Amino acid sequence: MTLREAAIDLDTPAPVRSRQHAVTLGRVALAALLLLAWKLSAEMAGPLYFADPIKVVQRIVVDTLSGSLLRDTYVTLRLSAIGFALGCGLGIVLPFLLRRLPRLTAAVEPYIMASVGIPKYALVPLFILWFGIDDAPKLWLVGLLVFYVVFIAVFAGIRSVDRGLIDMARVAGAGEAAIAREVIWNSLLPFFFAALKIALPRAVSAAIIGEFLVGNEGLGYLIEHSRQNLDTVGVFAGIVVATALVLAINALLVTVDRRVNAWRPTDRHMQV
Amino acid sequence: MEEPLLEIRGLAKRFAKRSRREPAPWVIQDLTFSVSEGEFLTIIGPSGAGKTTLLNIIAQIDVASGGEVRFQSQCAPIDDPKALQPGLACRIGYVTQDDHLLPWRTTLQNVLFPLTVQGRLNAETRTRAEMLIRTAGLGGFENHYPHELSGGMRKRAALIRTLVYNPPVILMDEPFGALDAQTRTQLQEDLLRLWNLGKKTIIFVTHDIAEAIALGDRTLVLSRQPSRIAGKHAITIPRPRDVRGIMTHPEFGALYQRIRAQLQ
Repeated sequence: MTLREAAIDLDTPAPVRSRQHAVTLGRVALAALLLLAWKLSAEMAGPLYFADPIKVVQRIVVDTLSGSLLRDTYVTLRLSAIGFALGCGLGIVLPFLLRRLPRLTAAVEPYIMASVGIPKYALVPLFILWFGIDDAPKLWLVGLLVFYVVFIAVFAGIRSVDRGLIDMARVAGAGEAAIAREVIWNSLLPFFFAALKIALPRAVSAAIIGEFLVGNEGLGYLIEHSRQNLDTVGVFAGIVVATALVLAINALLVTVDRRVNAWRPTDRHMQV
Repeated sequence: MEEPLLEIRGLAKRFAKRSRREPAPWVIQDLTFSVSEGEFLTIIGPSGAGKTTLLNIIAQIDVASGGEVRFQSQCAPIDDPKALQPGLACRIGYVTQDDHLLPWRTTLQNVLFPLTVQGRLNAETRTRAEMLIRTAGLGGFENHYPHELSGGMRKRAALIRTLVYNPPVILMDEPFGALDAQTRTQLQEDLLRLWNLGKKTIIFVTHDIAEAIALGDRTLVLSRQPSRIAGKHAITIPRPRDVRGIMTHPEFGALYQRIRAQLQ
């Protein structure tokens, strides 16, 4: 505990602290209850339908030690990361370009918005047809799903920038590049982080679904391959690791968000 | 006679139509005045008289619909927003009604913003910025974000952000409007002191008659929309002026009455 935290702790009145303890206790109890429910469900439904949590943990440990689980996690993570980078990059750059071309924006906007409605997963067979069975179709799926979330958020963010701030910056001698980087980018950061909270988990999900359909490695392949072999424990292990992966990414995002948006007065303590 | 620094002749402005049936009303019509170098001009008018629009046109963040706007004999574009040159290459500074501080920058970073984007941030300008911050009573608040400052402090920060890059002309749009009387008087005194140091040309818009008299060399009274000049008054109260005691000056009462009569 740092000195500052200690000081805050001293300021916090006793009833509030006991309430905080109660919340923590409740959380732990709820986790125990869920694990118990899982265990009981496994006993009742039988090992084919519901894997025993202890066996799942054992499997995760064994596969981690053998290195195969790490390899699968790495493959999925790599796929998600590259697809995310491509989709996110385009999702940021395109609205900034469109900002400079208001007439083109007005012309293409209805088409872009309509294309949001296309179910992206339904396009995977086409991606396989067009791009083969390597990483390419999976990257398209991940990239596209991330792109739309980021694009819409950044697009809306750019529109919501306070005109007065832009005028002020222009009068103060800022060029278009400086305005984009300083005023617009910082103004839309809250929008961008809200988009990331949706896009990052979605990138991992999309990578896993891509692996269900194409290829022979990754967490998605692990889950689907286990299912085909009636290895329910393997399916559960894959799901648990995928969930842990998404939670870890979210935790990282919350930390980055808090540092980058430290200036914001309102939702300094907000977490999603 | 010397050529005025800023000359406005027959200025007219209306905004784009909002509905098809009725044409947009004129916000400004046939407005003519000039400002000479080093002058402190106050402009007073009822709310909705197009005062902010007038400043926006002078600062070239908005475009005039007709007439002529000349700054240092250089004409501003008419009805062509793309040809606008906001701030006229940093020759005109603008302290807007809202402070428009960048919320993600600290006080010091906000003040340094114009220098940064103009590529003029060096040891000398930084020292000057820090000096200005202290002069304006913001010492100790350099690393605070705008939302952590009081209203008066934010106004000061916005004013300093303009002063820091030393534009020869400064436009001010009711900068002290939303403040309590005590803070406002303090800021008026500070402004006069700063103006005396550099003898800049200032165009100061207000709706407060006493403020217009206390600060200006000359006051223009604008009429209701569409705004025209309703009156011009030279303010001969000698400087340095006592802002707090301005009401007791013998010339104040008659001037106040004349301006108020024209404001109707």
